[in-house]
Amino acid sequence: MERRHTIPRRTLALLAGALAGVAAAIPTTAAVAHVLAPDISEPLLEATHLPALITDPSEPVDLAYDVYCATDESEASAPCDANGTVYVRAGDAGAFEALALRRDPAAPGLRLTARVPAGIAASRAGFSYYAAISSEASGRSVTLPAGGSGAPQKSLPLARDAAVELGRQAFGPGREADARVAEASWGSGPDAVGLEQGRNLGPIGGSSFDVDESGVVTVLDEANRRLLRWRPGARSPEHVPLSIRGTLADLSVGTDGTLYVLETAADVGRAAQLRAFGADGVAHDVVDLAERGSAVRVGPDGPVVLRQPSGQWMPAILDGRPLGASEQSRAGRTGRPVAGGREIVVLRTGAYEVRAALLGANGTQRTWRVTSDTALAEVQLAEPYREGLVLVVRAYTEDAAEFVVLVLGHKGLVGRFSLDANDWAETAPVSRFRLAGSSLYQLGSTPDGIFVDRFDLEVQ
Amino acid sequence: MRAAWRFAIGFVVAVALTSAGTAAGYHTQFVANNCNWAAPTPIATYTRDASITVALYARHEGYQWGGGCWDDDDRDDSPGDPPAVGGTGGEGGDCSGFTFKVWRETNDEDSTAFHQWWRLRFIHGPYTAARYQAAEGAANYPLSKSAAIKMDAFASGGHIGMIYAPNADGTDQIIEAKGEAYGTNIWTRSYRGNADYSGVRRLGWSQP
Repeated sequence: MERRHTIPRRTLALLAGALAGVAAAIPTTAAVAHVLAPDISEPLLEATHLPALITDPSEPVDLAYDVYCATDESEASAPCDANGTVYVRAGDAGAFEALALRRDPAAPGLRLTARVPAGIAASRAGFSYYAAISSEASGRSVTLPAGGSGAPQKSLPLARDAAVELGRQAFGPGREADARVAEASWGSGPDAVGLEQGRNLGPIGGSSFDVDESGVVTVLDEANRRLLRWRPGARSPEHVPLSIRGTLADLSVGTDGTLYVLETAADVGRAAQLRAFGADGVAHDVVDLAERGSAVRVGPDGPVVLRQPSGQWMPAILDGRPLGASEQSRAGRTGRPVAGGREIVVLRTGAYEVRAALLGANGTQRTWRVTSDTALAEVQLAEPYREGLVLVVRAYTEDAAEFVVLVLGHKGLVGRFSLDANDWAETAPVSRFRLAGSSLYQLGSTPDGIFVDRFDLEVQ
Repeated sequence: MRAAWRFAIGFVVAVALTSAGTAAGYHTQFVANNCNWAAPTPIATYTRDASITVALYARHEGYQWGGGCWDDDDRDDSPGDPPAVGGTGGEGGDCSGFTFKVWRETNDEDSTAFHQWWRLRFIHGPYTAARYQAAEGAANYPLSKSAAIKMDAFASGGHIGMIYAPNADGTDQIIEAKGEAYGTNIWTRSYRGNADYSGVRRLGWSQP
């Protein structure tokens, strides 16, 4: 007897529904995918400015703004129509004088410049300024720094009696550490620090650290989304999980143990975020920053972030309260606030000179002009120390680099030594050094792992 | 009535599974769905500022190892591609592909000419970061790092980024395709003084 193979009616109904579902879903998801990828060019206006933070009163001061504007990428080579005004005043009070920004015909592209009137540039109190730039074609405008008249950029006069000449840097073995206070190999184990993974991505790991007055070392192990904390004398670190992205970030630890993590890779629509955690890693606050951030440090009133393109230190949390974007901008400062109501300002000008200033409540306390026959790159650290500053700057050639540690006093150079770069893995841009008490700490790395070395300044 | 319920269940399950499958595939098919292989447009003049504008329009558009195609919707349309897997066809350039396209170089390594590759034109170009570091190709020239200005590049054996602007503390704002977890954007970096990095200049800017 022939057996007929039939599909039950209930299965047929299920299959029919499934087929209809597939047929309906394909065009729908394709349409959604298309909507997810619109190709919409928007007008842009961006301006960059290297602030004239410390100027020589005897020299003319030109303020320059490089401006980029377009209505579409296809218009990239079209002339930018932007113009603007810079507002300048002597000192940091009173009315601003408006100066029209003029095109620099010798510059590649659109550079708007204005010369600060000699009477203002030579003011013993320095001068303050901000710029407003707009483009009729793009309909956009930009103010630098973002706080405008409420938080202008400050320019300080350079004193002539604090010149430090470094001469030519003799690269070689740097000073040996007084102690290695923390050490970890690369990996994900309990005593290891992670390396970020990815093709075409150089080694990145242990992206920042901090040290408190008691010698507790905290390393941000961003790849493993945690921090490692070494207490003095401990062989192994404590682990504190953190809810972070796992990408390059800076770290600063408050005196109350609060952890501040500046994440510079952020979600769509966000420039950067500052995350605050308790000492136990419990998340407290997340603060959106309206501009890019490059460093976070804890000041007397809370965390401050160095921001671009404003080029100012701005608070993100004040007295425990997260600040909105406009509050952050209005509180922007040229100097980084430190204890005692003081501020520190640094400026690398040209390839061979770094200027630094220490400000008090009544104005500039001291300035230093450091020149070198070897090129200088970034200032990794500038912290008050005794009556002056400790300054760590990188000296480099095409194929060599090391850090130069300068102890600066009121008459100039008090002490100096060099340290090997030990920068195998990338970190946040200025997070390789910290000063705690009279000891300088260096976060170093090799192909084997990371370490934190201590250098006692009193010994030198 | 039961048949209607079974039809509805089958329909819902199929929609869910099909949509999920398509979405998963979508993550790796940005190039297939959006990009083209059109011939480039030779251009006679090109300035550093124009190249910055081209780079700015590529911001936020993601990163793809071996990639070189992006739109302009200010987001990575293929986020989360496995960083260890190449050729997933996602959005964005990698560091060297981004540089090649922003510098408007040509596939002819003996040429210093400028070729405009539109953003949806898939092209990586012949240079890796290491080749840029070695200044290979007629359009690329070794440069003292201390002399590097905007839209010159710092290149290592594994990465390259272009200068957007200098900072007061001696760091640089770099525009770069950094990695899958980062995308393409401007960040402050300390490449200039790092001995692993070399300076590279694109030759032939219309205004030096």
